[in-house]
Amino acid sequence: MLLNSWSIALLLCGLIVLFLMGLAARSAIRVLLFWNPESDSNRQIRLENEIWLTSTLVEYALGIQIISLIVFVLAADFYSQSIAGAMCATGSLLANSFGVPALLVKIGGVFFYGFWIVLHHLDIHSEKYPLVRVKYIYLLFLIPLLVLDLALEILFITGLKPDIITSCCAVVFGDATGGGSNLLGGFTHGLSMGLFYGTAGALILLGVVLLERWQRWLGVLFSSGWLWFFLLALTVVTTEFSSYIYAMPFHKCPFCILQPEYHYIGFVIYFALFLGAFFGMSGAVVEPLRFVEGLEEGVTGYQRSAVKLSLLFLVFFVLVSSYHYWRYILIGGEG
Amino acid sequence: MLIELKNVTKIYNQGQINEVTALKGIDLTIDDSSMTCLRGASGSGKSTLLAIIGCVFQPTTGRVSIAGKQLSRLPDRFLTLHRRQYIGFIFQTFNLLPALTVQDNITLPLVPLGIAPVEMRRRAAVLMDRFAIAHRRNFPASQISGGELQRVAIARALINNPPLILADEPTAHLDSRLSEEFMHFMKDLKTAGKTIIITSHDPLVTEHADVDRIVDIKDGRIDAA
Amino acid sequence: MNRRLTQHLNVLDYALSSLWRRRAKNLSVLVVFSWVIFLVASFQLVTQALTETAASVLRSTPEITVQKMSAGRQVEIPLDVSTRLAGIYGIQEIVPRVWGYYFDEVSGANYTVMGIAPGRMPLLDRLQLTLEEGGVYDQESHGKAVIGRSIRRTLEEKGSTLLSLFRPDLSQASFEVTGVFKPEVDILTNDLVVMNIEDARDLFAIPPAMATDLCVYVANPAEVPTIAKKIAEALPGTRVLTRSQINRTYQVVFGWRSGFASVCLLTALTAFVILAWDKASGLSPEEKREISILKILGWETADVLAVRFWEGILVSGIAFVLGCTLAYAHVVFFNASLFKPVLIGWSVIYPEFRLVPSFRLAQFLLVFSLSVLPYLAATVIPAWRSASVPADSALSGM
Ligand SMILES: Nc1ncnc2c1ncn2[C@@H]1O[C@H](COP(=O)(O)OP(=O)(O)O)[C@@H](O)[C@H]1O
Ligand SMILES: [Mg+2]
Repeated sequence: MLLNSWSIALLLCGLIVLFLMGLAARSAIRVLLFWNPESDSNRQIRLENEIWLTSTLVEYALGIQIISLIVFVLAADFYSQSIAGAMCATGSLLANSFGVPALLVKIGGVFFYGFWIVLHHLDIHSEKYPLVRVKYIYLLFLIPLLVLDLALEILFITGLKPDIITSCCAVVFGDATGGGSNLLGGFTHGLSMGLFYGTAGALILLGVVLLERWQRWLGVLFSSGWLWFFLLALTVVTTEFSSYIYAMPFHKCPFCILQPEYHYIGFVIYFALFLGAFFGMSGAVVEPLRFVEGLEEGVTGYQRSAVKLSLLFLVFFVLVSSYHYWRYILIGGEG
Repeated sequence: MLIELKNVTKIYNQGQINEVTALKGIDLTIDDSSMTCLRGASGSGKSTLLAIIGCVFQPTTGRVSIAGKQLSRLPDRFLTLHRRQYIGFIFQTFNLLPALTVQDNITLPLVPLGIAPVEMRRRAAVLMDRFAIAHRRNFPASQISGGELQRVAIARALINNPPLILADEPTAHLDSRLSEEFMHFMKDLKTAGKTIIITSHDPLVTEHADVDRIVDIKDGRIDAA
Repeated sequence: MNRRLTQHLNVLDYALSSLWRRRAKNLSVLVVFSWVIFLVASFQLVTQALTETAASVLRSTPEITVQKMSAGRQVEIPLDVSTRLAGIYGIQEIVPRVWGYYFDEVSGANYTVMGIAPGRMPLLDRLQLTLEEGGVYDQESHGKAVIGRSIRRTLEEKGSTLLSLFRPDLSQASFEVTGVFKPEVDILTNDLVVMNIEDARDLFAIPPAMATDLCVYVANPAEVPTIAKKIAEALPGTRVLTRSQINRTYQVVFGWRSGFASVCLLTALTAFVILAWDKASGLSPEEKREISILKILGWETADVLAVRFWEGILVSGIAFVLGCTLAYAHVVFFNASLFKPVLIGWSVIYPEFRLVPSFRLAQFLLVFSLSVLPYLAATVIPAWRSASVPADSALSGM
């Protein structure tokens, strides 16, 4: 199903990101080979300029990657109209074995580009540019991820085979997969709710403590807590909250909440969750950089704002995602 | 002391066929609230020296410190951050943007500092009054006279209130009346506590009564004679 | 935080005035870009409208269709198989249908003739809803038909009120027209003739107690897949089609056509991106001078990059809004007159139908990622080139 607007848009986004990151990688190699802060040669001046080029390129790539993630989910939704048994994005993502990996790699990409940008901003705050090498080696490692992303996407799209009713040998009837609840589950309702609110509460508590005084092990705990909460929240939104948003007990789907029928509430929910998780996790990611000369102040400052932002998004996420659920519990019906 | 240069050299295009050694071991200290004149023939290295003092680029070797901050071996970004805080430039050709209004030209250095437009206009108004160009506020810079251009250029150099004013051959394109006027403004600035460095070989400047010190530059070296 | 915000606003303000100063150059980019976005967006809206039209029409077709297959071809299905389906719980009604294609030698057009017994259709009211004028003939009457608008036009040209068709033995069968389908559903009904099932059997010389296929109506749509599966098990040698599968086929056809067109549009886009690159990268001496002055006055490379970024966002944003608005007007008020021949090119009779696109965020995101993103990506390098003009080039003018 390569020849439709959605596939073309996806591939275009993928190629643009690849192009931008390819250019960034070219600069990265030059910087890694020739960087010499002791020199005022024309080459060094050019390399200093290329630092701006690469950071702009990666920032654009991140922006496009985020849009392409949204396009990917909406495209999967569009494909479902043409795939037997698929009713929304879940169906098409499960239609072949590349859909879910492609989605996961895309989400991973967003996080990894984001970390690069954090690294970059810490770096340029020190007069020594102490992270130049680290950040460009990291950038080179992003390229395989990007290629993998594009490859999975192409495999996924080309692997989608609509059945055409005019062909006689076509399979007469496909089995309806329905919602995505079969992916997850295993938790009882009470347990998952308890874990959800418990973890959220614990994270808020930890965050407040960290804002009072940063302690390394607490910071690491906070970030790993966020990783756990991120996965948990995705599960809970899918298996618990979504059916209250749809007001249909058996409709459980992480993607339909992105549709206009539900006022695009899914976008709000996921943006809050992703941003919260990003800031929450990046606090500990930058912790080792504290020991790099000239970065301590920058790292401390970043961690403070990251914890603050992550708490803000956490509270917002919890309120928005569980709104329909509590409304149903408290007021009943007509959610 | 405000400025200290130790054994500063500058080689343009090092290692290439068009390599030029513009400065050959400059040692120089300049005091606060003084007016210094760098004098020398064309091509002697005055502008290069001024650019190094003005944090436009790094020296090839040697140490530079301005306002107590060690500036050699600093990436371009930090030179810029330092420059926009401590240094005001006045150029021979004024370097105004002809399409922008007088006011917009003056506030240009404040734009990236995140200063609110109201505050930018307030500061510009004070300076425009002081240099008698308030009536030209909304004229494009391409439509005002040479004397007014010069005063706009001075106002722009002062807008972020820098302690150090650098002027590169400011009077080369001015008649003697405007040159006198320029030196008069510089004198006021010196009285107000600014440090001023002017490159010139114009006697109107070099022999001006308020110049505290003349540094002769010859072939990239300070001529002790 | 607040300082950051004013800094961005200042830079945005500067970008605006900079765009305005170079308005001649930017206007040409804006016009071409708006045109490209207009093309892409119109196409997307047309496709969307067609898809939705088809879907709305399909809503009045049965949930399940049962066809008999023999040697890989569809053959007539005996009516008595429906007794074998009687035991399946959830089936509301089984309605036999006779249909086929009829080639009208006079007008050179292909008609789709469909024979149904309207009285047995649970969704009769829906069929009625798709009619522009007249009504559905009643079940008992013979020699009556409901027709699509292109057939009505052919009749009007002939000055006839009776639809005359020929049986395989060349004897004539005439039908009185009782109703005409609405223009909104033209895509499916333009060349359609709906008549009594016995008339259709008579027209195609199909033996009694046979039908082309069986329509199965189901009370609860959620049960359609289960019931379809049970029917397939109960009637080996038949093909069981659900409505969503038919819908899918339309999707694929439209999707393919719009995709093909997108490829053509991408070519236009590429040309535009090259133009944009060219426009942005030609750094004139005045621009070079401006940037070196800004930099010596304390602007960072990042500040100049931000100006260029905002310029790109403003140009593409304005072009996007303009292009999409024009596209909407084009599709709604001018009926996408530029594109319809391409999209509906397969029809023998040129159908005229009204397009009613619906607004969906997804459509605009799609257009956005097909137009604005390539443009922004194409301007990164030129932006950086201009931002890396060194500060000291402002000194050499001294
Ligand atoms: N950007 C440059 N690239 C190469 N050579 C330069 C550059 N700027 C100045 N020079 C050379 O350096 C020497 C000193 O120039 P400059 O400092 O401009 O002298 P002055 O201002 O006293 O006339 C001259 O020989 C000049 O040609
Ligand atoms: Mg000079």
